[in-house]
Amino acid sequence: MKPLSEQNHYEILETQPTATREEIERAYRMALSTYSDDSLAGYSVFAEGDAAALRERIEMAYRVLSDGRIRSEYDATLEVDPQESLPPAEPSAPLIPVGSAFGDSPLPLPADEFTHLDDDAGDFDGERLRHFRIRGGMEIEDIARVTKINPTYLRFIEEERFADLPNSVYVRGFVTAYANCVGLEGKGVAASYMRRFDKREKEFRKGRFFESR
Amino acid sequence: MSDRLNRLAEKLRGGPDGSRPARLIPVGGGKGGVGKSFIVANLAASLARMGYRVVAVDGDLEGANLHTCVGVVRPRVSLADFVAKREEDLGKLILDTPIPNLRLIAATDGNLAVPQPNPSRRVRLMRELRELDADFVFFDLGAGTHAAVMDYFMIGDEGVIVIAPEPTSVENAYGFVRAAFYRRLRLAMASHDMRKIVTLAMDQRNERGIRTPLELLREIQALDPDEGMRFVETMRAFRPRLIINDVRTADDIKLGFSIQSVCRKFFGIEAEYLGYVNHDESARHSVRARRPLIDVYPRSDAAIYISRIARKLLADGAPGEYREDSI
Repeated sequence: MKPLSEQNHYEILETQPTATREEIERAYRMALSTYSDDSLAGYSVFAEGDAAALRERIEMAYRVLSDGRIRSEYDATLEVDPQESLPPAEPSAPLIPVGSAFGDSPLPLPADEFTHLDDDAGDFDGERLRHFRIRGGMEIEDIARVTKINPTYLRFIEEERFADLPNSVYVRGFVTAYANCVGLEGKGVAASYMRRFDKREKEFRKGRFFESR
Repeated sequence: MSDRLNRLAEKLRGGPDGSRPARLIPVGGGKGGVGKSFIVANLAASLARMGYRVVAVDGDLEGANLHTCVGVVRPRVSLADFVAKREEDLGKLILDTPIPNLRLIAATDGNLAVPQPNPSRRVRLMRELRELDADFVFFDLGAGTHAAVMDYFMIGDEGVIVIAPEPTSVENAYGFVRAAFYRRLRLAMASHDMRKIVTLAMDQRNERGIRTPLELLREIQALDPDEGMRFVETMRAFRPRLIINDVRTADDIKLGFSIQSVCRKFFGIEAEYLGYVNHDESARHSVRARRPLIDVYPRSDAAIYISRIARKLLADGAPGEYREDSI
């Protein structure tokens, strides 16, 4: 939500500081076409000189970011505040979908909604899920009724009794539904929870492997 | 506060039978003829085919044709009955369509003298829409940026804007985004003075020379930091979703990303590019056949693109999504 004058080169090209050389190139081409004088997307919004001024910024950004050496020098001057340098809501990836690429790509996580709900960042473990459920004034049975998931499994999810839970495909579905039900962003929460689940499962398997030897 | 929490919990718990509230998706676009009704009919049919219970509501009381797109010939009741207070229960205006799981509220036979509901009736309509018994409710808005249309669009943050890749449609789409945003903003402002400034900025030739939401934000931040915060919150919550219809070239596809970029850079608004539907002759045939494309030519390109958009909507969290997984 920064005015153009305060945006850094990455923000001008609408790409990430982690972008590869190819991504920079793509972002640059995309920006040029968006801010050309006869741009269909822009002509009715731009005032006199807007597009030209922006193109100048785009060229400048590209000159810096397309040269590995100059880019790393520039990166060093950026404030090391990731919150500030990233665009607000979603990682903008102006990839150009042709044919089948569109729609099958995973949806970006709305990081915003995510963080403002809870101050203490970190994984979504069972305890944290329980916390959100209680904060919403809900019983396990309420969630079970809405999600149609067996309440015993919901309890196991909160208690992280991973060994008693079914296959991870089901658990992911359960956690997504649970999270949605308590007003969280299901996909992101499930991803976080499943990282713990998978890690534990791997350790479990490894342990068994050594035992069997 | 605890009242609010209780209400929220109530909502999350769902109705007495455990049902969740429907997802309400208003579809607008500013310009007529860009394919809003076509998109609504087909997104609705697509979700219905996946087994979700869908109600498509025609909100275009002065140019109703959604009924034709979903294959209902002469609707015997319509939204006009609700507007004219002949019927209080919106649920009673629901009609079956030839497509299983897809039902319709038509907008035919409106009163030519008083086509639009008055403001209090509008509020009631929006409440009734929320209470419809369905998984998804699509609300097909008429053309233009009339106050009624903007109110309907603000019914949630899920509003979809349909755009055709042509100057007239793109211009109107921006007008639509701006109108929706300013209206929402005016509601969000707590003080009368700030509301007045928003109203002033809504006049495109205002004396302060405020051209874009971003410029308005600077102005408000300078005058009242608290209101500035509310402004930023409103800005973040407002995420119009874009569909580009009738795409013929790669440039047409890119248009969605370009509009996204312009919205971000010039308005400070994050729009989401939901997808595009390519130009397809079979689309015209389906409208002639008065059936959704998804129904008559499910294997056509356009039908496939529409189903993708439907799946993307689902990925945002569908009501009752894990029904079949229940043990």
